[in-house]
Amino acid sequence: MVVVMNSPVIEITQLSKLFGYGDATNVALDAVSLAINKGEFVAIMGPSGSGKTTLMNILGLLDSPTHGHYALDGTPVADLSHRRRARIRRTKIGFVFQSFNLLHRLNVLDNVSLPLMYHGQNKLSRAHAASRLLKTFGLQEREYYMPHQLSGGQLQRVAIARALVNRPSIILADEPTGNLDTKSSEIIMNELKEIHKRGNTIIMVTHNPSLTVYADRVIQMVDGRIDSDTAVKKPKKSKDSKKPLGGKRSKKSRGKDA
Amino acid sequence: MMWLADIRIAIASLKATKARTLLTVLGIVIGVAAVTLVLALGEGAKQAIGRQVTQFGGDVVTVRPGKLAKDQSGRTLNYDLLANFSASTLSEQDSKIVNSTPGVSSSAPIMALRGTISDGKTSTDSSQIIATSPGLPDVLAQSMKTGEFLNDDIDRNTVVLGDTLANELLGTDQTIGQKVSIRGENYTVIGILNHSDLPLALNGLYDINRAAFVTLDAGKAMNQGIAQVQTINFRIANGSNPKEVTDTVSKRLKEAHKIDDVAVIGSDEALKITDSLFATLTKYTAAIAGISLLVGGIGVMNIMLVAVTERTREIGIRKAVGATHAQVLRQFLTESITMSLAGGVLGIVLAYVMALVVSFQLAFSPVLTWEIVGWSLGVSVGVGVVFGIFPALRAAKKDPIDALRQPV
Repeated sequence: MVVVMNSPVIEITQLSKLFGYGDATNVALDAVSLAINKGEFVAIMGPSGSGKTTLMNILGLLDSPTHGHYALDGTPVADLSHRRRARIRRTKIGFVFQSFNLLHRLNVLDNVSLPLMYHGQNKLSRAHAASRLLKTFGLQEREYYMPHQLSGGQLQRVAIARALVNRPSIILADEPTGNLDTKSSEIIMNELKEIHKRGNTIIMVTHNPSLTVYADRVIQMVDGRIDSDTAVKKPKKSKDSKKPLGGKRSKKSRGKDA
Repeated sequence: MMWLADIRIAIASLKATKARTLLTVLGIVIGVAAVTLVLALGEGAKQAIGRQVTQFGGDVVTVRPGKLAKDQSGRTLNYDLLANFSASTLSEQDSKIVNSTPGVSSSAPIMALRGTISDGKTSTDSSQIIATSPGLPDVLAQSMKTGEFLNDDIDRNTVVLGDTLANELLGTDQTIGQKVSIRGENYTVIGILNHSDLPLALNGLYDINRAAFVTLDAGKAMNQGIAQVQTINFRIANGSNPKEVTDTVSKRLKEAHKIDDVAVIGSDEALKITDSLFATLTKYTAAIAGISLLVGGIGVMNIMLVAVTERTREIGIRKAVGATHAQVLRQFLTESITMSLAGGVLGIVLAYVMALVVSFQLAFSPVLTWEIVGWSLGVSVGVGVVFGIFPALRAAKKDPIDALRQPV
């Protein structure tokens, strides 16, 4: 297991998020402290309403905490301008959503290259980068398809490609397989595993306990607090035994899954 | 590069809702066409009058009732062109004073009336009848097509017709000696004027080609024996100083009237007055036409607000992948400007077509200058910005989390 132990990429201390006012106040996050190191694959689990998604949104700079401190790559984000936050979203963070969140009026290629557009790249270099990435996901021949012409598994792979196109160091996946069947889920999880191997930090929210085998750290959340935080010891055997199921099969099934 | 991408996105988004985009653009088309046409009409009228004044040269001077308002440097401030004609203070006697002033080569009073002219078969309603003196053709530099103009010794019941009027009444047959009835009384046609290319030559008020010219005596007979002279036009003799002659005429008339109630206006001064009059008129008419553009702009704003609401989720996604406030703002602003600019271009084309149609009906043609085209395009871009900025700001300020929560 190669985990680089240097300063954490994500460090939150006493982070709280409240919704509503007065008597109707609802605590989504209750003084959560957490440090995530570079290259970790963290699975966040917990029942609905335990604050997983809120935590993800705050980590992804889509939302701001009510109280507490959040440092990304050692930099506090509280005082960053909208512009800087947007810049960090498109350079350091790749988001994968449960509902894919692709733009239905753009084709696959344009969807994947969208973050590059906001980065100011020209159309040709955007298309090249997006096309190269789609090829590694086995979706090259689907480049000019519209989202509604693809299956759920394919859509999520497109969404992952979009999350990766800017070469972000952190991937935030909010129930990436929540809308997918078992087979597609497995393909998606293997993609995430591959990305993780290349050195990306992955934080994934999931309901499905069986998916935690892919992670090397599992955080359990209950009522806006971290209930348990355990490193997953993966015996070499089980990892090997997964290979024929995961790695190889995924390559075969990529072409024909629908 | 970003600009091109914005325009591409804008066009794709607008195409996705074709029908309402077209209707919104139509609102702008009508507004821009109205404003452009009014400006073109104003420009056309200005040029037509300017052309006439230049062709007259600086030699023709007009005496008008009413006092001219001037500022300290002697510039004409304004002149109420029409108000004083109904109660003119000019008389037949004034015409004689003008005519006898040294340096005046010819002069003609203009007494304008209206009435039915008929040759027994055809008749025209409310035609322009101008009672004047024999000096008129010389003052206007107007030649005869056939026959002769009025002279001092001629019978009261004689008439000279403008070219168009003659054609309408009598056709192209023998016209001299024909009898026509004017206000129920018979007149003999003794001459037809040549067709004038400067149809509004008489102070820009009367169309020579459609007028009937009678003697001042005949005019008086039509007006209870009173010569109600609206203007006196005179031409300055070659070699005389126009300023001196004009001042002399002015002085003599004031002496005769005892009070300062007439204005003597050279043609360049007259041009300035008509110019400013038309500029003001055009400005206000364009402003009224601009109201339809305002309505079109409100249409743009309305549809952009709908678009922003409908596409909240799209905005959320774009922000989640790293679009800044400014980039989202620009995207929606480009969309509204694209609509209003397209409407502007089509509106100018429509105005051009309408100008062509109108030019067949009017004595002058509307003129569509590059300046007007530039203004119209500028205004339509302005409409896109003004009415697009609020919806675009609303889009830019959307919170990404709330935006992503919107159901598809």
